[in-house]
Amino acid sequence: MGRILEQPLTWQNFLIMFLAALALLMVVLFFVTYAIYWQRKILGWIQGRVGPNRVGPYGLLQTVADVFKILNKEDIIPSKADKALFILAPVIAFVPSFAVLAVMPFTPNIHFADLGVGLLYYIGVSSISTMGIIMGGWASNNKWALVGAMRSAAQMVSYEIPLVMSIVGVVILSGSMNLIDIVEAQKNMWYIIPQLLGFIVFFVAAIAELNRTPFDLSEADSELIAGHLVEYSGFRFALFMLSEYAYVFAMGALITVLFLGGWYPPLPFLDFIPGAVWFVLKMLLFAFIPFWFQGTFPRLRVDQLMESSWKVLLPLALINILLTGLIKVFI
Amino acid sequence: MTGEMVAFFFFSLLILIGAVSLVNLTKVIHMIFAVALTFLSIAGIFVLLNAEFLAAVQIIVHTGAVTILAVFGIMMTKHDDVEEGTIKRRTQKWLSLLVVVAFLATVVYFIQDIHFGSPTVVADESNTHSIGFLLYNRYVIPFEILSVLLLVALVGAVILAKEEDEA
Repeated sequence: MGRILEQPLTWQNFLIMFLAALALLMVVLFFVTYAIYWQRKILGWIQGRVGPNRVGPYGLLQTVADVFKILNKEDIIPSKADKALFILAPVIAFVPSFAVLAVMPFTPNIHFADLGVGLLYYIGVSSISTMGIIMGGWASNNKWALVGAMRSAAQMVSYEIPLVMSIVGVVILSGSMNLIDIVEAQKNMWYIIPQLLGFIVFFVAAIAELNRTPFDLSEADSELIAGHLVEYSGFRFALFMLSEYAYVFAMGALITVLFLGGWYPPLPFLDFIPGAVWFVLKMLLFAFIPFWFQGTFPRLRVDQLMESSWKVLLPLALINILLTGLIKVFI
Repeated sequence: MTGEMVAFFFFSLLILIGAVSLVNLTKVIHMIFAVALTFLSIAGIFVLLNAEFLAAVQIIVHTGAVTILAVFGIMMTKHDDVEEGTIKRRTQKWLSLLVVVAFLATVVYFIQDIHFGSPTVVADESNTHSIGFLLYNRYVIPFEILSVLLLVALVGAVILAKEEDEA
């Protein structure tokens, strides 16, 4: 894709770029649709229910029906809300969640941008979504929305630090921040083995970044109704939800790239199965685990949330950096 | 007209829109988002200059941290504050216009035949590597002193927060 950007911007090149992005968007939409379906199914099974089973065979079209319903809803903007920001917020929350996918190498050939700092790009761009959430919470002119948005921002800012620190180990071992190089460095051994501590810290911080149980304080239904989403309905609400699930997709891809060897098979003799399949399988594993957590874990308190980030995860991540440095120098 | 040119004008326009609205908007929270737009677009310009590392740092530090910090500051104090004291006197307006035009003329006069020379280092894929190498070799002492300075600020902030707690 980078090659096309340097050529003159003809309509043909523009069309290629546009269609490629559109194709990725379709893949993401498909993923989100069925992620929601499986979330409801899995939660149902965990709680001894059946889950959606009415629309289509096995309820497979349930989410599609829900999307149609939500798009047909009346678009409500509270009269005391800050209109411009209220409308802008869902867009700002969603765009970064899609933009981070630009650097994800799904296979050696299927990737969009081959950035030298792909890792930093992901971290930086994903932090813009926080602003969309704050914007939405503030513009709603609602106490719960504001409290939810502030909680979400505080959480995302403090968990971003252990998240980044736990990645440093991977960067030290592979000597690169390019996601393709990082995957290629894992040809013989996935980084989950030498970076087990880093993986654990990253995993916990990733769940918190995604605002999922047990860290879903920003949307805590029982105390805040739905946090920054309180005043949103119809397609604006859908955009916020879409952004949340697109981040599950993106975070799954990132964790696959960093720790689970990207497109490489777990054992060498399994490489007759194409890399894309392995990538998707690993990503789906990560998409499944948050749903599993959601059905089994209670929610943390705010003070516990902050303590677990600053007093547990951050020191662990720093120890991990030190150990990785020692390994790199002496072995 | 390459894609790069289009992107350059697009980002420049966004920077200007953000900066102008920062000055013109009246609600303090709107100003924060305007300045965030400017920060973000500057990162775009960095990308066009092949300074990918700088672009990422720009987004992380300015858009991610500085803006969010400012938002926190506003939310914790007067988050509905509206600026009122705009310039009303006519002479003041003309005077500020004069100063701005003079400034523009000076800048244009001095940069019109400036020559930056050809770049000494060819920008390549691994400019992160080059930055890291320079930072930990040639500039290691300034780098360390800066970190100590930041640490002092951090300790100062903790002490301020502590005193408030006891009182």
